[in-house]
Amino acid sequence: MNALVEQSEPSVEIALQFDAVSMEFPDGTIALDEVDLTVERGEFVSVVGPSGCGKSTLLKLASGLETHTGGEIHVDRSHLGYTFQDATLMPWRTVLPNVELLMELRGVPAEERRRIAMEQIALVGLEGFEDHYPKRLSGGMKMRASLARSLALEPNVFMFDEPFGALDEITRERLNDELIELYLRKGFTGLFITHSIPEAVYLSSRVVVMSRRPGRIIAEYDVPFEWPRTPELRYDPEFTRLAGEISVALRKALEG
Amino acid sequence: MALKTLTRSARTQTYKPVPVTPPPGPVKRFVSAVVPPVIMGLLLIGLYAWVRSQLPPHRLFLMPSAQGLWEQAFSKPEVLQELWERSLVTISIAVCGLAVSIPLGMAIGIVMFRFHVMERAVFPYLVALQSIPILAIIPLIQSALGFGFLPKVLIVALFTFFAVPTTLLLGLKSQDPGILNLFRLQGAGWRKMLWKAGLPSAAPALFAGFRISTSMAIIGAVTSELFFLAGKGGLGQMLINAKTEFKYEQMYAALIASSALSIGIFLIFTWVGNLLFSSWHESASRRG
Repeated sequence: MNALVEQSEPSVEIALQFDAVSMEFPDGTIALDEVDLTVERGEFVSVVGPSGCGKSTLLKLASGLETHTGGEIHVDRSHLGYTFQDATLMPWRTVLPNVELLMELRGVPAEERRRIAMEQIALVGLEGFEDHYPKRLSGGMKMRASLARSLALEPNVFMFDEPFGALDEITRERLNDELIELYLRKGFTGLFITHSIPEAVYLSSRVVVMSRRPGRIIAEYDVPFEWPRTPELRYDPEFTRLAGEISVALRKALEG
Repeated sequence: MALKTLTRSARTQTYKPVPVTPPPGPVKRFVSAVVPPVIMGLLLIGLYAWVRSQLPPHRLFLMPSAQGLWEQAFSKPEVLQELWERSLVTISIAVCGLAVSIPLGMAIGIVMFRFHVMERAVFPYLVALQSIPILAIIPLIQSALGFGFLPKVLIVALFTFFAVPTTLLLGLKSQDPGILNLFRLQGAGWRKMLWKAGLPSAAPALFAGFRISTSMAIIGAVTSELFFLAGKGGLGQMLINAKTEFKYEQMYAALIASSALSIGIFLIFTWVGNLLFSSWHESASRRG
């Protein structure tokens, strides 16, 4: 810990820190090579990179689903949100008990978890679908239910592993806006994995570019746009310029 | 601006629309569901009648006629009474056998899933057990356990065991790994994962196993009794008695009754399975 922080600078809390984190699989492939990444509290950071570069591994390590083989990770895992590439709803449960699941695993009393679940369901716009089984929901609605399930834990760090990758463009853009709304309302710290540069720029306060395997962070871009962001932003010249710049960096990552 | 002339190439063909056909009404659906099996049944009865007509008179007893079945078996109250009582005995043997094989099979399925080393260790012997001709070891079971109720229960258990741990293991292994990750993120232990995620997710597969086991149970019970003739037995004993007493109509009646029991159990399990799983599981919602 560095105690000699200058008085004039406001102190910023770190939500998540990778300190030279490496990940090597037993067969010798190196997924991550000394990754340094610091995410401040309240930031929304997106990670883009070539497929197979270890973006998802980053989340698995941060959340503890997998264990890194080198370096250190500093994170508070007590209130962790996590959405996967698909909604991972339990097909035998309707929406309401699906949203209750994580609270149930934590031993929240039934009445309280019902109340909280109903709040989150309303928040993601799924009122009236509490008693629907997942197989009767569209892809976007399933993802909303999945988000509601994580939101019920009031996450301080929320990790997203390409959650909207399987959705059609229109649904995806709508969910982007809804996610921004949730982010502004709940104030969690976001770490978002995606292979879509426009999505990364649209959602984030910072975009991080990873190299191809072994994954390293090769570039970072601050995203200067005001919150809340509106769909028109996608056609703003400044937006296009930034996305283009990131796209060039990503292409370099693929080559080099 | 010059007007364009639009021409079709010489190979262009014109495709006419097909008018919408209305969906079949309830009568049509009923007919298309019922008529094929009825025709097939009539053909089979016809085949039976034809084979029977080819038999020499002194062998006709092997294939009783419908009239014979009615007069000698199904019209007689004492035969119906016997069929009923013996069916109850057969069912009780079958149910007791299942009460052994289902819990034991589930326990073994869960252990094999929980400990991969146990799957390696146990699975080959499950297959080996299945490959033993059970009929061939019934005399051995008889010598070891005598002629009471227990050995018959054991035989049924052997007949019905295999499908339970194998289907359960398959079901548990095909769980959504993402859901298990959710449990891991909350620090949930394996018991919670099994109870809240594994068993519900494996339930449709396990139920398919139950359907196989339970309809095998009647076969097992009837078979077991062919070797145990002491005391008041079930339908299997009736088969043997009818043969020795040369009452082939009654033998057929016992056969029909045991098939009806097997089919009945199968239908009940199919129905319960639909009731339980049709709301969320694909396999149950589409049938027939």
